[in-house]
Amino acid sequence: MSKIRITRRAILGAAAAGSAVSLFAGPWKHNRVWAQGASKPIRIGITADASGQYANSGASDKRGMMMAISEANERGGVLGRKIEFVHIDTETTAATGSRVAERMISREQCGFLVGAVHSGVANAISQVAQKYGVIYINTNSSSPTEAGQNCHRVKFVFDGNGTNFAKAAVKSAIERFGPDWMLLTNDYVWGHDTAAATKSLLKEYGGKVIEEVLIPQGTRDFTSALLKVQQRKPGVISAAIGGDDQKAMRQQVAQLGMGDKPAWINSQQDWDDVYGLPVDNLFGVFGTTWYYRLDLPGVADFVKRYQTMYPETAMRSPGNVFYNGYMSIRELLGAIERAGTTNNIAVIKALEGHKMPARDRMQHFDATIDAETHQVQQTIYLATANRAAKEKDDLFEILSHAKPDDVRDTDSAKLCKLEPYDKTPSFDA
Amino acid sequence: MIDLLPHLINGLTLGLLFALIALGFTLIVGVMEVINLAHGSLFALGAYFALTVIAGSWFSSTPFGAWWLSLPLGLRYVLALAIGPALAGLAGMLLELCLRPTYGKPPLYGLLLTFGAALVVEELIRLVWGTGEQNLALPQAINGAFLLNGMIFSTYRFFASGFSIVAIAAVWLFLERTSAGAVIKAGAHDSEMVRALGYDLARLRLLVFGFGAALAGLAGVVMVPIWGLRPHVGVDIVIPAFLIIVIGGVGSFWGAVIAALLVGLAIGITGAYAAAWSTMSMYLLLIAILGFRSRGLLGRKSALEN
Repeated sequence: MSKIRITRRAILGAAAAGSAVSLFAGPWKHNRVWAQGASKPIRIGITADASGQYANSGASDKRGMMMAISEANERGGVLGRKIEFVHIDTETTAATGSRVAERMISREQCGFLVGAVHSGVANAISQVAQKYGVIYINTNSSSPTEAGQNCHRVKFVFDGNGTNFAKAAVKSAIERFGPDWMLLTNDYVWGHDTAAATKSLLKEYGGKVIEEVLIPQGTRDFTSALLKVQQRKPGVISAAIGGDDQKAMRQQVAQLGMGDKPAWINSQQDWDDVYGLPVDNLFGVFGTTWYYRLDLPGVADFVKRYQTMYPETAMRSPGNVFYNGYMSIRELLGAIERAGTTNNIAVIKALEGHKMPARDRMQHFDATIDAETHQVQQTIYLATANRAAKEKDDLFEILSHAKPDDVRDTDSAKLCKLEPYDKTPSFDA
Repeated sequence: MIDLLPHLINGLTLGLLFALIALGFTLIVGVMEVINLAHGSLFALGAYFALTVIAGSWFSSTPFGAWWLSLPLGLRYVLALAIGPALAGLAGMLLELCLRPTYGKPPLYGLLLTFGAALVVEELIRLVWGTGEQNLALPQAINGAFLLNGMIFSTYRFFASGFSIVAIAAVWLFLERTSAGAVIKAGAHDSEMVRALGYDLARLRLLVFGFGAALAGLAGVVMVPIWGLRPHVGVDIVIPAFLIIVIGGVGSFWGAVIAALLVGLAIGITGAYAAAWSTMSMYLLLIAILGFRSRGLLGRKSALEN
């Protein structure tokens, strides 16, 4: 027979402990009301790289977000609440991204996460965010998998992806420079996915890959790859090389005078990766989502606001990475306003399918947040080096702009299976 | 089947560049038994000082700057080759003064101090020269490309490799044919005996550290037109430099040079046939060599092996 005595004191103690635990642990459906009331600020976790391969781009990404937050606070915040941000360096490393996301959610009590350049980092952050139901905006990483097989209900992808850029370029490049292509591919998720998209398009339009050279991340010497290019003699080189690797490659190609022949197609050219380089380093045709000298309403004012807010920044004109960071926060805060609440599910629904007028986006065509994949379908620009620059920063000559529907990534969309709403934890941020 | 010869030439030139990077590192490790993790930062400092000399970045808007920039680029480049390493050498001496309290203590102290110094230098570079990509302009005579056996090669890469050969020969002659070199070598072999003979060991260490740092700075000036110039450029070279001196045998001059050539060839050959393995190849080489010879190619025999 048990000798345990159940006293009134023990029952009261157990009840108190149970209540305390239930406040934090359950029921999971709606259990984390972090910032009740209008008085507490909305906290955004900025997951931008401050070191590693994408440190430079990460700094621009963060500057874009900070400008959008600053402007929102000047207008009185959102739903009467000020916006606060916490930034922790994700070090261009997936494991760090995961750790940072976990810390921002569980310790820093961030209700939203925004930022990324490296696709591996973005994927790691989004897995943690989905676990907690925290909305995460991938600002600048452009692997097709981000809104494809790695899509999540909480994740929204604001950059164009490798397929979008390849679709804008591949068909016309085959017609102009021939079917024999060589791929230089950064040996990580973005490089592989972008190369896969290019291969699929080559197959569709009658081109062929005569060789693919995998370039390890952190490569500083591209001589081996460039010797192989000379030996294989392709008509076109499609390069999916990012960050510092790409800067080194551009300098070495320019030094060898190989920028004009064969033809170079670079998936996307981030502004931060070429800013400050001589114009002969900007060979080939490349994609972008925005340029600071687009002749569109609002662009000049946007540039002026950037220059006023960052008078000391060496980069005197904003680029696509800054632009995506800015637009991500602006659209997130807009969605909170439209939803009238910081409840994550309500904000997700306000973002899904949201149409953004071309004028607001400072692009040529209206953009939409695809409700099925959460990727922003937007204008894709093709550009090359500007040999008749109007000013020092006028590096790009915009060659064309493609409509969002013409460059839509339909293959990745088939692989995206968003988690149902009721499988996504719900809370008010 | 692709022609291997251009890749062998590429591997050899790369190896010579690696040797230049490892030279200062091996000197400091050999004489002072300090693993200088700030070697990459001194490499970067040399390159940034050279940038200031060539582009006049601090004073370009002054009348002196205008006069300076009117000088021929070739002259400014030659001055940068002297001033960049000299200033990196002075920074190295400063670092050596900071290291002194760690002498006689476990090696971890020196390791941590130089690691901290590397972080400080990188941040200083960001503050002084900015975070963006910079470009070290080159004189026309050593820029551009040339054809060799139907393949395009970079003129500057061959210039840099030739420069490495000259630098390696000069350092070797200095160590082997001068009395200062003899003292440095003796200091590496038996520092107590050198002190007993009346040489100022503290001064010797200061000069060796400064010399090693200047060599790092020289490597920086020579390498960045190929690899590009950004604040963390030094991080890219610390691991290959460390790996080379371990393969060559810690403290061995010719061991470092041979190891650098082997690493260059390994990267060049794998780059031809299995590019994805090109970075990995130097680590595999390290495992293969240390597996058979734990003290490296020309490393001194350890007391435990007697």
